[in-house]
Amino acid sequence: MAFLELQALNKRYNAVVAVEDFNLSIERGEFVSLLGPSGCGKTTTLQMIAGFTQPTSGKIMLNGRDLGAVPARKRGLGIVFQTYALFPHMTVEQNVGFGLEMRNVPADERRRRVSDALDLVHLSHLGDRFPRNMSGGQRQRVALARALVIEPELLLLDEPLSNLDAKLREEMQLELRRIQQEAGVTTLLVTHDQSEAMALSDRVAVMQSGRLIQEDSPFDVYEKPATSFISTFLGKTNSLPAVLRRKGKKIDIIIDDVRLPGPDTDLPDGPVELSLRPERIELTDEVQATLSGDVVERVFLGDHWLFRVDTPIGKLLVMQRNLGRREAGIGERLHLSWKPEAMRLLPRGEAS
Amino acid sequence: MNRNGFLALCFNALFALFMMGPLLVVIGVSFTPTGYLEFPPSAISLRWFKAILDNPDFIDAAWISLELGLASATLSTLLAVPAALAIGRERFRGRDALQALFLSPLTVPTVVLGVAFLRFLSLFDINGTFLGLVLCHAVIVTPFVLRLVLASVTGVDRSIEMAATSLGASHWTVFRRVTLPLILPGVVGGWVLAFITSFDELTVTVFIVNPSTTTLPVRLFSHITQTTDPLIASISTMVILLTVLLMLAVNKLYGLDRLLIGGEAR
Repeated sequence: MAFLELQALNKRYNAVVAVEDFNLSIERGEFVSLLGPSGCGKTTTLQMIAGFTQPTSGKIMLNGRDLGAVPARKRGLGIVFQTYALFPHMTVEQNVGFGLEMRNVPADERRRRVSDALDLVHLSHLGDRFPRNMSGGQRQRVALARALVIEPELLLLDEPLSNLDAKLREEMQLELRRIQQEAGVTTLLVTHDQSEAMALSDRVAVMQSGRLIQEDSPFDVYEKPATSFISTFLGKTNSLPAVLRRKGKKIDIIIDDVRLPGPDTDLPDGPVELSLRPERIELTDEVQATLSGDVVERVFLGDHWLFRVDTPIGKLLVMQRNLGRREAGIGERLHLSWKPEAMRLLPRGEAS
Repeated sequence: MNRNGFLALCFNALFALFMMGPLLVVIGVSFTPTGYLEFPPSAISLRWFKAILDNPDFIDAAWISLELGLASATLSTLLAVPAALAIGRERFRGRDALQALFLSPLTVPTVVLGVAFLRFLSLFDINGTFLGLVLCHAVIVTPFVLRLVLASVTGVDRSIEMAATSLGASHWTVFRRVTLPLILPGVVGGWVLAFITSFDELTVTVFIVNPSTTTLPVRLFSHITQTTDPLIASISTMVILLTVLLMLAVNKLYGLDRLLIGGEAR
């Protein structure tokens, strides 16, 4: 049995289904992300694990123990909230020491463990500050120290980075990963930010409308999305309706009147959804081009360019690494090419 | 620096004068050496302040008002805090009705309340007693406490309490160590407002006092109906002083603007 097991978890609010038949296993020491748009049920799932919400049905097993009858305060989980939820009237040390105090840890041991926890998050010099006198990133780390100091079996992170600005968020991603690995704690992160989920976790579980729809390593979720919803939710993609047709061993993709060589697939002939990542499209010359088209939009993003190119199969988003040269402007013609394997085929008719 | 125009400044000054004027007159009158109400005083004298000491029934009445204020403000705070917690964060049937009920003493005419209390207390045979006064005043001042506590309760981030729970705190510990400190500005502000309201309540109180439980406002009122000497001015000045000191103390502790205007509990 895995360390944390969610078995057939359901949560209904009257007629509204928040979480439906949710199954997930997490091994000891693993970092797993629950990823999904807002309202997909990921926060409800976290609240059920934390004990703040009762599941309508299903089981939560932690380390072989059924959490069903255990009240929130006895579950011994470390939780970092989106708003950090620090105690504003207590100093950093008092905040971090609160959980130990509740466990009646003697004062000298408490002091030692608080200072260890603050060392871990590099905040030992700010122990007597109040949260209001700290930056967002620092508060975040206090919240982390407070959750970790009680040596929880499981660490729950609820959108922990969403209140930070972009630059700090990237720094904290690395920091969070380091801290989690140093502490060696099994971690479940809830987020709507795909880059956060991919950067931090060993495995990503994608949720949509209360259901788990894919569970894989970040690379596989990105490269082999199970549905067109996932392919558009994780990163950018060109999603096009197409028709699959086999001629002997040759596989053709037909979009409008254009026929393209397709990738290997198990899908039967017929309508499919084609997904092509903008970074897999290369710029080339007229001779080698798969398709050509005029640039209708162009955005410069520092390390890369984004083009929207009007091709015979529709407008395609194309990403081009910044190579230090001027790229084609609006109205100019671009020649595009990609390998057949770059195209992902998904059954048509998935909700997106 | 000067962001207000000339007209705005004039308006503000007039408004302040309008609010402060009566108080200034009362304070001025209290320093008169004469035996009648004189403003501005022809000389400065403490005659009427000394006279307070010679009128023990005023001092007794002041003590009764003080005790009544302490008791009724405390009682209503004990009622309003749990009520505000329930109304501010739970969703239950009759929640709006309950809130309206708690705030209704603000909207019922005080004369009506006075008559009602008189009848009601007579039923239990506690009319004119200190207990009766405390109960009635608690009803009158509860809206003030409830409003202020409610404002601070709704400002509390629930996840702070969840965090405390997840760290192992029981319901009571969460309330004592986290919730109460966070809503304390509202609680203290409400208590002070309740105390002041009770301390100078007249309309209702007139109906339900007897000679042994006469409060200071009632005592002053009956004194005025018989004579008009500057004694009432000197007593009023003492009351104003007491109120100002109380406000300064609260301001030092919690910041008045935050209490009365409301704002983030930080």
